[in-house]
Amino acid sequence: MVKLLTARVPRPRTSVHQPTRGYRVFQGVNGVILTLVVLVTLYPFVNIIARSFSGERQIRAGEVTLWPKGFNLTTYKIVFRDSMFWRNYGNTVLYTVVSTVIAMVLTTCYAYVLSKRNLKGRGVLVGVAVFTMFFTGGLIPNYVLVTSLGLKNSVWAIALPNAVSVFNLLVMKAFFESLPIELEEAAEIDGLSTYGILLRIALPLSKAVIATMILFYSVSFWNSWFSAYLYMDRTELMPATVYLRNLISGATTGGNAGAGTDQLSQVGANIQAVTIVLTALPILCVYPFVQRYFVSGVTLGAVKG
Amino acid sequence: MKNTGQLSRRQMLSAAGFVGLAALTGCGSGGDGGDTKDLSKKQNGAMKEYRVGQQFKASKPISFSILHNNNPVYPMKENWIFWKELTQRTGITLKPIAVPLSDYEKKRSVLIGAGDAPFLIPKTYHPSEVAFVSSGAILPVSEYVHLMPNFQDKVRKWKLEPELDSIRQSDGKYYLLPGLHEKVKSGYSLSLRTDVLGKLGLNLPTTWDEVYDVFKAIKAEHPDLYPFSDRWSTNTPFPAAALLSYLGQAHGVKAGWTYDNISFDTKAGEFVFTGATDGYRQVVEYLRKLVAERLMDPESFTQTDDEAVQKLLGQKSFAISANPQELVQNYRYNLEKQVKGAKIEMVPVPLGPAGPVVMGGARLENGVMISTKALKSDTFVAMMQFVDWLWYSDEGQRFAKWGVQGTTYTYSGSQYKLEPGISLMGSDPDAPKDLQKDYGFFNGVFTYGGSWALVSSSFSPDEKRFQDAMAQRKQLPIDPAHPLQSVEQEQASLWDTPLRDHVTQNMLKFVLGKRPLSEWGDYVTELKAKNMDRLVGLHNKARERFKKENG
Repeated sequence: MVKLLTARVPRPRTSVHQPTRGYRVFQGVNGVILTLVVLVTLYPFVNIIARSFSGERQIRAGEVTLWPKGFNLTTYKIVFRDSMFWRNYGNTVLYTVVSTVIAMVLTTCYAYVLSKRNLKGRGVLVGVAVFTMFFTGGLIPNYVLVTSLGLKNSVWAIALPNAVSVFNLLVMKAFFESLPIELEEAAEIDGLSTYGILLRIALPLSKAVIATMILFYSVSFWNSWFSAYLYMDRTELMPATVYLRNLISGATTGGNAGAGTDQLSQVGANIQAVTIVLTALPILCVYPFVQRYFVSGVTLGAVKG
Repeated sequence: MKNTGQLSRRQMLSAAGFVGLAALTGCGSGGDGGDTKDLSKKQNGAMKEYRVGQQFKASKPISFSILHNNNPVYPMKENWIFWKELTQRTGITLKPIAVPLSDYEKKRSVLIGAGDAPFLIPKTYHPSEVAFVSSGAILPVSEYVHLMPNFQDKVRKWKLEPELDSIRQSDGKYYLLPGLHEKVKSGYSLSLRTDVLGKLGLNLPTTWDEVYDVFKAIKAEHPDLYPFSDRWSTNTPFPAAALLSYLGQAHGVKAGWTYDNISFDTKAGEFVFTGATDGYRQVVEYLRKLVAERLMDPESFTQTDDEAVQKLLGQKSFAISANPQELVQNYRYNLEKQVKGAKIEMVPVPLGPAGPVVMGGARLENGVMISTKALKSDTFVAMMQFVDWLWYSDEGQRFAKWGVQGTTYTYSGSQYKLEPGISLMGSDPDAPKDLQKDYGFFNGVFTYGGSWALVSSSFSPDEKRFQDAMAQRKQLPIDPAHPLQSVEQEQASLWDTPLRDHVTQNMLKFVLGKRPLSEWGDYVTELKAKNMDRLVGLHNKARERFKKENG
């Protein structure tokens, strides 16, 4: 993420400033270093993809680096046949969509309210949000709370407790604050209600930040596993991340107690690779398309003029 | 002006927050109560006369909640014959809460801490139950084993009392129903490339001196390679955890993943500090010799399992630690595909100064904790009888392991054979069904321990040879019971970890040659500065007290 950002920092236009020699050297060095960083970051991806197409034996023998050895599609077929994986995959999609929608509605409303300087009790509202950034109730109280609200084993246990991320809230608030107040005053004079201003003036002007927040939220919900693991009691309710985590760390920590040899059977390295590829794929596919909003969205609101 | 106003509001807010928190956490610990001794009102569904050798059958259908460790190798399915058949035989329906194996312990703690734990909490390794004792959320099961005839019978028959004493807490009770083994089942030993040995005219080593000679001979043939590169160094708190544990066993000390700061010196009749004993020093010296003469790969202590296995498969090393399953399914399976004529065997643990011995206390397995809530239920007695039948009766253990006779297995001439078309851990790669994955038997949650006949019934030929050889060896005596009181326990754990870390770090330094062995004395002095003697004293005191109070 960081690398992509850095790589996209716009260069000074050559027509305006003639680049000095030092600057060209700097560019060269910069280019080389960044290319290396990109290669280092890309390698694990490529390696995992190569592994997913390779034979189990070749992976175990450490022969697979950038290109599949012992090419086969059988592993994909095996994973495709695993109904529990797809069930969990479906859950991931469901949880991500529902949670992101809820999170977006709540965060946008909250941030918009906070951006109004004339609001009474604004300090308290900010305080409430920021308080949760520094203090949490802790694992067990949270668990007791969610359980006694009857949210366990439902999508709400994942969507509601994580609905407002304070960091996202503050970024959005800063963005709304940067919208010219004159626009809203004009809209008010023209007869728009408060909600009308939000829906017809503020939001259409905030596409960049909304896209960024959708990306932030959906990526984090897609990748999250902990709340599902904590609040779901049945395998068919788990998201794909929990499935994956169990597959990888569960299968490789076998010898920790030195006792239960029955747990030592391993899940094939190629099956792990295929599962990783399939789980990461959607996010990887979406990212390039949302990325330009992402860059502008994060920097917007940062500089006010 | 404005600022102060805001501040006070914030203060009010945080105060409100804290009150809320306190209220929430306060709710966590539910009230105790209920008559614990009188079981006459808790007989619902129980059998009036339940004895050894009798099939448990609840007098009416009941269900119990159970924490289920969901193994990715055989993910839990609701249509397993196991569940259906269990209900049919016992009248009990288990309601599993599936927890991924990767984070089982954490969820267990949360559930117990939140007072939301299911009645049955299996797959608990001693001493992880100790953390829950003070909360009162876990039942002191030793008070109720009179409801469990099979458990008592096996403890008596196999003389397991001393082992059970080792898991008692300072109140003299134990809180875990451990798996019971008739005989010690050894897990790990050294495996070597027999074809390489054969070419050099060498036999499989039987003592650690011979191991050294064999490595020396391989080194002479392949001067630029390390004959031995080991694994089980990551994902465990100890480097080369398996090697150290069986090498330590040959020297009569607890090392590697069996390491414990405290061990009992039978000759002196008192507890001593393991990391400062002569035996431990000999282990370190032996490994130093291997590393110094470049017979053992120094990366053995840091590399991942995969890296170690890759060296073996790539013929960059010729020996590695093994357990029977890894030997067959991983090393041999992959070696045969990769290297023509490659053969690999696992030797019975080579003998050392301690002679033909195995560690004591290894006859207890992980086991079942029972939630205190269960005691308040009117079906408590039925539940204990059920637990006794499923985990401790011969019939229950056979059922959990092999399944249903005629459906999943046949039994003749004291041999268990899977029905055609059913595979177990790759025994028949072409079989359409798998005993674990498709039927739910041989599940680590329910299957462990038992008579030697049952335990050995699933051994591969390699494992059978290995276990038979190991079963001949004498069991070292078990440490006498020395349960600490909770204040002592807290004190001990403050001392324990730094000492353990110091032992591990210095073991590595000595072995890798970063610290000369002549500094062993200094090392012991450093241990003393870290309260070694006080820790040992604490345990000796606890032992005296336990002896006085419990005879």
